[in-house]
Amino acid sequence: MIERWNRDQVLALAPDTSSAKAAQGVSSPGKWSGIGATADALWGECKGSGSTPYRACVDLSEPAYRCSCPSRKFPCKHALGLLLLWSADGVPAADEPADWVAEWLEQRRERAVKATARAAEAEAPRAAGTGADPAESRRAGQREQRVAAGLSELERWLADQVRQGLAGSRRHDHWDDLARRLVDAQAPAVAGALARLSSVLSGEDWPARLLGEYALLHLLCVAHRRLPEVVGEARDGVDTGLLQRVRERVGFPVTKEEVLAGETVRDVWDVLGRRDEEHDRLIARRVWLRGRNTGRAALVLSFAPVGQALDASLVTGTALDADLAFYPGTSPLRALVATRHGGAPAAPAPGSTPQEVLEEVAGALAGDPWADSWPVVLDAVTPAGNGSWSLGDSSGGLALHPSAGTPWRLIAASGGHPLTVAAEWTPRGLRPLTTWDEEGRVIVL
Amino acid sequence: MNASTAWEELVSAALVGTDRRPVPGGSAPETELLERAAVHTLRMRAGQRLAGGEPLSVAPAEEQPVVSRAAADRLGRILGGERPRLLAEWLETAAGRGYRVSPHLLPELLDQGARDRSIRPHLGVLAGHRGRWLAGLNPAWDFLLQEVTAVASAASDDAREVWEFGTSGDRRAHLGAVRSADPAGARQLLAKTWEKEAPEDRAAFLEVLAAGLSPDDEPFLEAALDDRRREVRHQAADLLTRLPDSRLGRRMAGRVTRYLTVEGGGIQVTPPVVCDAAMERDGIRAKPPRGTGERGWWLQQAVARTPLGVWTRLLGRPPAELVRMEIADWGREVMAGWVRAAVLQGDPEWARELFAWDPLADLLAALPGAEQESLAADFVRRHGLDGQLIMVLGGAAAPWGAHLTRAVLQKILEVSGTQPWNLGELTRLAGERIDPALYGVAERLSPEPPIQEVAALLRFRDDMLKELA
Repeated sequence: MIERWNRDQVLALAPDTSSAKAAQGVSSPGKWSGIGATADALWGECKGSGSTPYRACVDLSEPAYRCSCPSRKFPCKHALGLLLLWSADGVPAADEPADWVAEWLEQRRERAVKATARAAEAEAPRAAGTGADPAESRRAGQREQRVAAGLSELERWLADQVRQGLAGSRRHDHWDDLARRLVDAQAPAVAGALARLSSVLSGEDWPARLLGEYALLHLLCVAHRRLPEVVGEARDGVDTGLLQRVRERVGFPVTKEEVLAGETVRDVWDVLGRRDEEHDRLIARRVWLRGRNTGRAALVLSFAPVGQALDASLVTGTALDADLAFYPGTSPLRALVATRHGGAPAAPAPGSTPQEVLEEVAGALAGDPWADSWPVVLDAVTPAGNGSWSLGDSSGGLALHPSAGTPWRLIAASGGHPLTVAAEWTPRGLRPLTTWDEEGRVIVL
Repeated sequence: MNASTAWEELVSAALVGTDRRPVPGGSAPETELLERAAVHTLRMRAGQRLAGGEPLSVAPAEEQPVVSRAAADRLGRILGGERPRLLAEWLETAAGRGYRVSPHLLPELLDQGARDRSIRPHLGVLAGHRGRWLAGLNPAWDFLLQEVTAVASAASDDAREVWEFGTSGDRRAHLGAVRSADPAGARQLLAKTWEKEAPEDRAAFLEVLAAGLSPDDEPFLEAALDDRRREVRHQAADLLTRLPDSRLGRRMAGRVTRYLTVEGGGIQVTPPVVCDAAMERDGIRAKPPRGTGERGWWLQQAVARTPLGVWTRLLGRPPAELVRMEIADWGREVMAGWVRAAVLQGDPEWARELFAWDPLADLLAALPGAEQESLAADFVRRHGLDGQLIMVLGGAAAPWGAHLTRAVLQKILEVSGTQPWNLGELTRLAGERIDPALYGVAERLSPEPPIQEVAALLRFRDDMLKELA
């Protein structure tokens, strides 16, 4: 049986605020007929403007959503409204799902079985060590050359900036041309990092922050140029993780299949929270996880154009027993959910002291110098204010990110008492994600 | 040179450019600078130290029970925009039962309270110690510190301390508690500090004396007629008007004897020609509102402040006859005065007769609950859907019982067939005022959408109130 999610947890699944609002409009019992819930599915028919009602259902175990409405949003307002109604204990229990729901669940199960079979097939030739075809390796070679050329242009450009002075670069479109050329050079991740630099310009300390970002880009160019020889020269046993990390930061693609074929880690994963970031009409959704037994941090990243489906399969404050497949690299964080074994009872995530968190972040940066966010769970901390806000205990605290403002919800929940708080570490401070009140109830911050 | 100075030098060199300010060492100054900056940036990120913050004080432990999880969820839904008009009812019910709200919802609620004064008294109770602790951290919320707390209204042992040191809200609540147990004691308590109270508090404290009002209060109130503050004088005059044989009542009766007489089966009226100091002292305002004549304005106020018992004696007729008599020239002012008097003095006999003449919501409110309902139900049956119907229904005390409920639902059903676009206000009012336990009546009545809308709202409220049990 899936424990009912609270309202905040449901609304955190909405693709945008207008969907969240619309969902509340269709969350009253009067709008629904033929509703029901089993241990892991939820369904109902919602009156729309047309003559036939929309049929919405949710597979709670994944979760996954379906609705017959024409909306391209995902989950749509009907699925969310149904979840809100369920959250408010407004959906009666049923022994069996309705026929059309059972059919959908069955289709999903079949597809899952086929997908597993396909993955196994795809893995077979790789395991057998058959070589790639010549055309593919030629294309790969061309890409290597383009990327190398693009990055060496970036390296020269950065040097020019520093030689001529950063004072002239305070324009929001200063990086646009170069970013476009890096996209052409098939180094999309660097291009993205460059395009995001305009956000650095707000704030008085922009020269220092810009220099920091330029320095790390320079480091990436140098690393990309020199790592193959370093790794090539090195003898057996040298970890190639850093090389892979550099390639990921540059933007060499790793396919889902490759990741899924790699090593997986099974644990009970606490879903700590999520953050959506919009850039150039594209939304990047980061969902942060921590393994309850391994203590491993994980990031499930998904992208979608504004207004389209984002991954809504991980619910803040819940826990899932699953195999996670990590992307290659020395300090792997990004992961895919490979296999779900089921839900797990939700509880406050196990946390660390502020000092341990700092050490953990230092470790992460040692593995990936370009890491600019990391999920952490602080145990027994209280908010402290002294001009700006921080989160810590008697040994000291970690500053909050300026965008967190005064975290009133967190302060109210704490009342000066220690709490467990999940947060996203960033170089500029913590962004609080989630906390738990004295009854263990999830509070989305 | 320490690390931060070194970093500042790197930044300023980068800002002007290494062409003009080279960085020594390495093959090329610009590469040298970028590499040093990379090392520095990573050292800053990986080598962060814990900072000492000023810890918050610890909020005191709570004494009130927290609302159930289901109730807190529903409050979250209402605050999130679902049926926002029910916020006040949720708050009032929860406060009335002595609950406090879950702490994490407080910031949103206090923000609402900053915008909407009407909910502040409920927040005073619901916020608990945590709310007051929060209000101490945010000046936008310090209104809360003036409100009555649940602890004070529970009439504690250190009552004297509340009266001496409490917030004005707590002191008001304390005075109210004393008044209900010992009316004379409350008056004496107030008299002792009266001179030192702030003018706005004096008016609010007088309001408390409305409960348990008796002739013993007269000397104190009569003295308050000389107060410096108009609100205080006015409040005192209102209370004295309600005392059956007060000196103020007698003075008013003396005045109106000159204004109203019965002649030839009708009432002849001669309104006052001046408003003297004595009249002003008795609560009659000299300056009329824009568009009203002076004499009619003075007349209307004098009638409103005259004890209603005076009229039968003076004019020799019972109220039922008086309200139906022909009144020469000044009929509108005299009737308006009587209406105001009936409401102010809470006189059901006059209110009943006047309502039959002019169905005003205020008059309805002056009648006993059962009578309000049956009068309102009759009115709904006889009257079309218009602004007046809505006003009259607004005067009938909630929750509406079965009788009025059936009349209103029937009206909704009728109108939904002819002019459904006019139903918005009536269905909202019905959903908010009908006894929510009657949701089944509405559900079964008709599948028409407006009726089902009322039913859904009633069911929402019924669940809401059960969660707050």
